[in-house]
Amino acid sequence: MEKDLKTIIEQVLREMNITPDSVVSAAVAAAIPSSGSESCSVIEDGIIPDVTEVDIRTQYLVKTPENKEAYAELKAYAPCRLGIGKAGARYKTDPALQFRAAHSAAQDAVFSDVDQDFVDRMGLFTVQSQCDSKDIYLTRPDLGRKLSDEAVAVIKEKCAKNPTVQIYVSDGLSSAAVAGNIADLLPGILQGLQSYNINVGTPFFVKYGRVGAMDQISELTGAEVTCVLIGERPGLITAESMSAYIAYKATVGMPEARRTVVSNIHKAGTVPVEAGAHIAEIIKIMLERKASGTDLKL
Amino acid sequence: MHEEILSVGVDIGTSTTQLVFSRLVIENQASSFTVPRINIVEKIVEYRSDIYMTPLKSPAEIDADKVKQIVQNEYSKAGRHPKDISTGAVIITGETARKENANEVLSALSDMAGDFVVATAGPDLESVLAARGAGADTHSKQRRAVVANLDVGGGTTNIGVYDNGRLAGVCCLDIGGRLIKVENGLITYVFPKISALAKKNGISINTGDRADLQTLSRICELMAAQLAQAIECSPKDDIHSSLYTNNGKPLPQGLNINAITYSGGVADCVYGQPDENWLRYGDVGVLLGDAIRKNRDLSKVELLPAAETIRATVVGAGTHTTEISGSTISYDRSLLPIKNVPILRISEEEERSLETIEASIRTQLPLYKTEGKPEQVAIAFTGIGRTGFNDIQALAGAVIRGAQEVINGPFPLLLVIEKDIAKALGHAIKVQLEGKKDVICIDGIATLGGDYIDVGEPIGAGSVLPVVVKTLIFNS
Repeated sequence: MEKDLKTIIEQVLREMNITPDSVVSAAVAAAIPSSGSESCSVIEDGIIPDVTEVDIRTQYLVKTPENKEAYAELKAYAPCRLGIGKAGARYKTDPALQFRAAHSAAQDAVFSDVDQDFVDRMGLFTVQSQCDSKDIYLTRPDLGRKLSDEAVAVIKEKCAKNPTVQIYVSDGLSSAAVAGNIADLLPGILQGLQSYNINVGTPFFVKYGRVGAMDQISELTGAEVTCVLIGERPGLITAESMSAYIAYKATVGMPEARRTVVSNIHKAGTVPVEAGAHIAEIIKIMLERKASGTDLKL
Repeated sequence: MHEEILSVGVDIGTSTTQLVFSRLVIENQASSFTVPRINIVEKIVEYRSDIYMTPLKSPAEIDADKVKQIVQNEYSKAGRHPKDISTGAVIITGETARKENANEVLSALSDMAGDFVVATAGPDLESVLAARGAGADTHSKQRRAVVANLDVGGGTTNIGVYDNGRLAGVCCLDIGGRLIKVENGLITYVFPKISALAKKNGISINTGDRADLQTLSRICELMAAQLAQAIECSPKDDIHSSLYTNNGKPLPQGLNINAITYSGGVADCVYGQPDENWLRYGDVGVLLGDAIRKNRDLSKVELLPAAETIRATVVGAGTHTTEISGSTISYDRSLLPIKNVPILRISEEEERSLETIEASIRTQLPLYKTEGKPEQVAIAFTGIGRTGFNDIQALAGAVIRGAQEVINGPFPLLLVIEKDIAKALGHAIKVQLEGKKDVICIDGIATLGGDYIDVGEPIGAGSVLPVVVKTLIFNS
């Protein structure tokens, strides 16, 4: 049986005409575990390389390029899956694995919860929207825009009333974004506002929250400007991208166009600490001009 | 966002004086939903002046009044007023920079040049400006090649080499069309280094000699051969090293230059047809152009067309001197503009630890005092690897400790950083100093120790600052 298999593999490899004979026999020998006892006992020291460690801006896999350097230079601008070669009509193994790894990271970002320890460490108390679970959150966007009764009570109790600015954090569609950015982004904004002498309310965390919840929070706290830092729907380039939605005197039912947004905040996009400094300035301008969204030309 | 700023370039060269006005188009290239990314997207030369012979009072003195008149005249011809100008450069180049009253001329022009124009000279910067004006940088990027621009002027040849769009080296030689002058068939002037070059090759040439076409052609061939040696198209001879301007350095070795562009007044004689009237300009420019075109060693590399020839330096000065800072920065408008500030550079090695950052600033600051008094200085570093909130706080602390003398002094704390962290760092410093010190913190600007910097008034709806980095030393 083992011998038959050997013959078949050898034949296939030769017909594909891709390898010299010596390589074929080596490949076959490697593919089929020998029944001999000594080979079973070999324990290798090596590790399988982590596909997510590859920087796709620098990876170029086309075998016979017209101009590799020029292509590589273009690739350096953005992490696109281009110039990754092919095996017949299909992806090569490495890009295929990278793609699946990126897809898994995106799924994890959506389906996992933000680590509660992390939220506590950031000094944020936690409230919840009207969603009881991730499934409800994903299937009922309307409930993600409303706070639970308990959340309303806690916010009323714990938050400073009528602050100039109310900032809060929400998981949105990426828990990884919260974990990846908040430690730099939130203090970045707070310090920026401090340097402008702008008073900030009590920050907190909203679990299972969508952007629209900020309107209710604005009404509850009576803040002049409300800013939510929320995980973006992940893509295949990064699962850690975060947005800030900021509005001047947001009210429930107001037009979406009244929100100002700063997106693409992550370590390979706008770095969180500099984004925080920028958001602080936007808030300052918003307070000066008493407008936000399309009403505010920045 | 779409904004245009007007830039002026004035070049007072050995033989000619010229001016250009250019429009620099500034756009936010990011979407409305992200942090702005404002860049210069287009540079349009909209007005080119006539080319004037540089007015001289005596061989050692520029006629400042006449230069000013030329500039004034061109402003009114172009319909421009000094107040329209937001940036640019006035440069005195070539032999003219060695005249006794060069600085006087610059100050005579400063009120003509708007609020933010710089006045600078230096052969290295000229080489860069000419190469960029001639388009050697663009050629090299498009062809992924090493392209040298030879700006052959009246008194000097400035060479700038670009490798795949990046500056690879500059040098300047005392080779030029007006280093031998001819009047009424007689030689009236010979630059000493040129007579030495001729003498070394067994040719005698003196003022008062009859201008003999064959002799002068032979000397021009020798000059062209020196240019070939400078770009390593042929081996360097004994006299070569003496021909660099101000005992400057040659190009770095092993650049493997693939192609050449020519600019400067002599370039038109290189690219054009041989001129029958070789005494047209009363000098050897035409002959030097011929000699360069015919030189076999220089012909070994490809000849590319230059975007500008005689106007390359002035176009370079008018369009390529201004950079735009990053879009997230920290400044106070009332402190701007700031001009001619020396760069105190923290080396990348020193940047690795907070202690060495602090020490580097503290030990270098005394070097920037004049007569024991502090002057405005710009502290520059890359900021690589310090992007976390806590990193920034620690960095701010180190800068504050190192720059205590600046903080106690009368001038604002000015930081120039490469990486995009200036706004956050600016906030951190302000908060740590409780807002008691003026701080300007800009990024997106690369500098070297020994550079000087000008920072202009904000453009792009206030989000960016125009910056001119005046690099005076390259081959050091």
